[in-house]
Amino acid sequence: MDRTLKTRLEARLGGHLRAPVYQRHDETEIRIDPGSVPEVLQTLHDTLDLRFEILADLAGVDTGEVMQVVYHLWSPMTTDWLRIVVDGISRDDPRVPSATFLWTGAEWLEREAYDMFGIVFEGNRDLRRIFMPPDYTSFPLRKDFLLPDDAARSPGAGVRHVEKPHVTVPPAEPATAIRRAPVS
Amino acid sequence: MPTRPSAPRRPNARATSRAERPAPEPVASADDPRIMLDRQLGTLYEPIPPYPTRTEREGEFYSLGDGEMFLNLGPHHPATHGVLRLVLKLSGEQIVDVDPVLGYLHRGVEKICENSDYYHVIDQVDPLEYISSLFQEWPAVLAFEKLMDVQVPRRAEYIRVLSGELLRIASHTLFMGFLALDLGGLTPILYSFIERDEIVEMLAALTGARMLFNYYRIGGVNGDLNHEFMSRLGDWMSRAGKQAEANTALINENEIFVRRTRGAGVLDRATALRFGVTGGNLRASGVPFDLRRAHPYSVYPELEFNIPTRDEGDSLARYLIRVDEIRESIRIIDQCLNNMPDGPIMAKLPRLLRPRPGRAWGAVEGPRGMQGVYAISDGTDQPFRFRIHDPSFVNLQTVPALLPGNLLADTMATVASLDPVMGGIDK
Amino acid sequence: MSQAFRLPFRIWASLTIRDRLGLLALVMIPGVLGGAFVTAIGIAVLGPSVLDFLAANLPLVRFFVAATAILLLTVPTAFVLIYLELKVIARMNLRVGPNRVGPLGAAMSVIHGLKVLSKEDFSPSGVDVTVFTLAPVVTFLASVMTLLVIPFAPGIYGQDFNIGLLYFFAMGGLTVLGLLMAGWSSFNKYSLLGGLRSAAQIVSYEIPLTLSVVGVIILTNTMSLNGIVAAQSGSIFDWFVFKQPLAALIFFIAATAEANRTPFDMTEADSEIVAGFATEYSGMRFGFFFFAEYVNVFIVSALCATLFFGGWTAPFNWPWPATLNGFDPYSLGVLGWTAIVLVLIVGGTEVLAPLIRLAGGRSWDMSSTIWMAFAVTIVIGLGALGALGFVAFGWLRGLVWFMAKTYFFVITFVWMRATLPRIRVDQLMGFAWKWLLPASLLNLFVTATAVIILNR
Repeated sequence: MDRTLKTRLEARLGGHLRAPVYQRHDETEIRIDPGSVPEVLQTLHDTLDLRFEILADLAGVDTGEVMQVVYHLWSPMTTDWLRIVVDGISRDDPRVPSATFLWTGAEWLEREAYDMFGIVFEGNRDLRRIFMPPDYTSFPLRKDFLLPDDAARSPGAGVRHVEKPHVTVPPAEPATAIRRAPVS
Repeated sequence: MPTRPSAPRRPNARATSRAERPAPEPVASADDPRIMLDRQLGTLYEPIPPYPTRTEREGEFYSLGDGEMFLNLGPHHPATHGVLRLVLKLSGEQIVDVDPVLGYLHRGVEKICENSDYYHVIDQVDPLEYISSLFQEWPAVLAFEKLMDVQVPRRAEYIRVLSGELLRIASHTLFMGFLALDLGGLTPILYSFIERDEIVEMLAALTGARMLFNYYRIGGVNGDLNHEFMSRLGDWMSRAGKQAEANTALINENEIFVRRTRGAGVLDRATALRFGVTGGNLRASGVPFDLRRAHPYSVYPELEFNIPTRDEGDSLARYLIRVDEIRESIRIIDQCLNNMPDGPIMAKLPRLLRPRPGRAWGAVEGPRGMQGVYAISDGTDQPFRFRIHDPSFVNLQTVPALLPGNLLADTMATVASLDPVMGGIDK
Repeated sequence: MSQAFRLPFRIWASLTIRDRLGLLALVMIPGVLGGAFVTAIGIAVLGPSVLDFLAANLPLVRFFVAATAILLLTVPTAFVLIYLELKVIARMNLRVGPNRVGPLGAAMSVIHGLKVLSKEDFSPSGVDVTVFTLAPVVTFLASVMTLLVIPFAPGIYGQDFNIGLLYFFAMGGLTVLGLLMAGWSSFNKYSLLGGLRSAAQIVSYEIPLTLSVVGVIILTNTMSLNGIVAAQSGSIFDWFVFKQPLAALIFFIAATAEANRTPFDMTEADSEIVAGFATEYSGMRFGFFFFAEYVNVFIVSALCATLFFGGWTAPFNWPWPATLNGFDPYSLGVLGWTAIVLVLIVGGTEVLAPLIRLAGGRSWDMSSTIWMAFAVTIVIGLGALGALGFVAFGWLRGLVWFMAKTYFFVITFVWMRATLPRIRVDQLMGFAWKWLLPASLLNLFVTATAVIILNR
């Protein structure tokens, strides 16, 4: 737990932080808005006493209410991992600025987040599906994704049971219970 | 001569005439000459997607210049380390551009883990990089231990390090064999498998399984060291150094091998950092970043080992780094055995695990790079989000930057030297 | 099925096996007898004139016999080579290799051959069918025709051209044509790449190959392979490997490239371009390519042995007795020797089988005992007969030495395949043009100068 990191972050990024810097074990977490992503990442990358040069991970999260993009960064100047939670991305039109201007390696990570959640990264030159087939219509890791419904909507017309006759389920509204996270 | 009654006849399939059998259904087949025109045939087998290109990069890639052609190193290929599809844009034998297509092994592990409880996750996460599956379990277990504030006993940590380093040696040995196989040498792969078999039998004596171990638990490991494991380990350790030297000498001193890999797929330092490459590939490009020293976990702060680093960044450097890492791993195993503490191997935990809501990130240094897990818990007995960060995924991303300008034959050397495992890449 | 065949087919389908055999016998026996009768009359009437014609054109007869023998013997040679390669590479890989089919897995190649024959014959859509079908034929024939000039033993050769070596390289160059045809006609980019690579490789390595041999031609003043072998008869130090060591080395390396063997097997690099030019081939067409490759290996080994290692000459001249106590081995003739061999095998088996059974094979069943007796008879009896023949027949001696040297080189090729990785295409071509070609020119220059100086 690096207390000095907390002070440094608050000094450099003060205006962008939407919540107090949270530290637990060896992780430091900050929360920002989607619009601040390019500035925050650039500051963290370039500032000489922060120097978060290694992008460890770029993940998408669907909390049921909103979507999040979570970056993990590593710096030689601190012993902690830095977690940046980009909070408040709407589930209807999820858009986040891309990090590919800083790290080319973010391209595939953002493609994966797009493929699994539907989060559109503006500025990514190659935002197409990476795991699912290119003509796939759903986003699998969303909380409102239910596999039988998705299969029913697909050209295969549902999941076939080997021992029962195949009954085509009409496409239903995806009103199944969304698992909501008590953690924000 | 008297005839015996003939045996009862089975109905002869040809007994019905063609007029009596139902006519076969017309099937649209690419081999039917009546329905194919020459120009359609010309583009039928081209790996161009059947829809208009959607992104900038896709459009840039799928437009052919003068004298260029597409070659599809398809998912079924003897040497793409799994089901990887590389669409190459070639100008003769020289590669102009590469578009890797993934997803042929996508199993939805993250979604499955959201529906499994915390013990089941460890089993689900094993087949990601099946060659070194303990290193897939380790970050998951680290993240969960952070979520639950569990203190792992020291003996369990030492056993984790011991089994991990053994598996690292097994994985690196296999990498060497596959690199040689992709370049045409038929023999080193078999020697690698002999080496790996010894280690894997050892780990089978310890964990019960040869490949997908399911050994680490939240708070410790599943079984203590036993007599068979220790005797096999002692046996192996007495030969390990010399055997490693002999096996690597077969490849190192081979002029053809060295000339094929030297200068192939050079990854320079800035590019490697920009791509987020980790592991041996990053250290071969001059950045001494090893998670065991950069962000120590488990008992690595107490162990003495070096981090081999090289500057050239070509395939030969990546190969030699792994040879050096095998030596370092043997040192670590030696120290583990000498300093193994007594004590329990598992922390006391309730049977039904319900961590408090929270978020945790755990990362370890696997044989291919940094394996990370970001876990979000919502208070129930199933993780809310289980994100797996795989090193091979980012390593493979450098392929479109490394290959252009090289010959087709270098594809194999470069991709094999990055050591991708499709299970982890496709999750 | 056309209408005419329906009724007979119905009848045939309704018969049992015994009935069918009886019917066949009933039809065939008169047919065979009649045919034999007609043949006998034909031989009696026409025989003498045919024999006179053949006796007058003995070289023609000899040529046909030689050509037939060569064509018939390439397939068993390829079989032996395939089995050898599988076993030797397996042992070098610390594996066992084929050991189930036949004794020690020796019938593996036969089974491979049968399998390849029984596969479906299809060609992918989009191929140029004529070229696709002819490509394996061209490759196979180009390899096999070169065997015509190689002297296997004193007196055992196809033809003795006085431009034998030129004929050899001319025929060997036709393989390029076959590979290019295969690569181009398969509607497949992998095949195209493989075919072009192979064409480039073979063409570039042909030049050092032929140039390195010119030194030998200068030394012996003849291109006839029989003449070259005769020039090396004497002692081991007459072999050209001592007079032209650089040429021998260049020839060996270039021959490896000509035969598309590792480390020069870019054309069939199966970790990159699946099977190169042969990707779209299956069944017997692929079998042709496969056989052609192994026959090629045999041929280049044979040529290496002939040109540089003395061919059928022995390394030292043992004073074999001209006659064995007055017994002329040729007096028995072919029939006599065949009879002796058959009597030996059958008699030996029959004598040994009960002895083996008495000696403790009581736990074995009948067929194992007989096989054991057969094996022992073969080993001891044929070994003794072979030794006798070795002493008695000069051609047998020559053949044994020739085969020993050839198989030595074959094993070296197999050894290289087990050990070495592949060389990249541009490194391969660079090596040929920048190193082998100047080296062979240097060798030529030195040889010519030496000959001029020493002849002054």
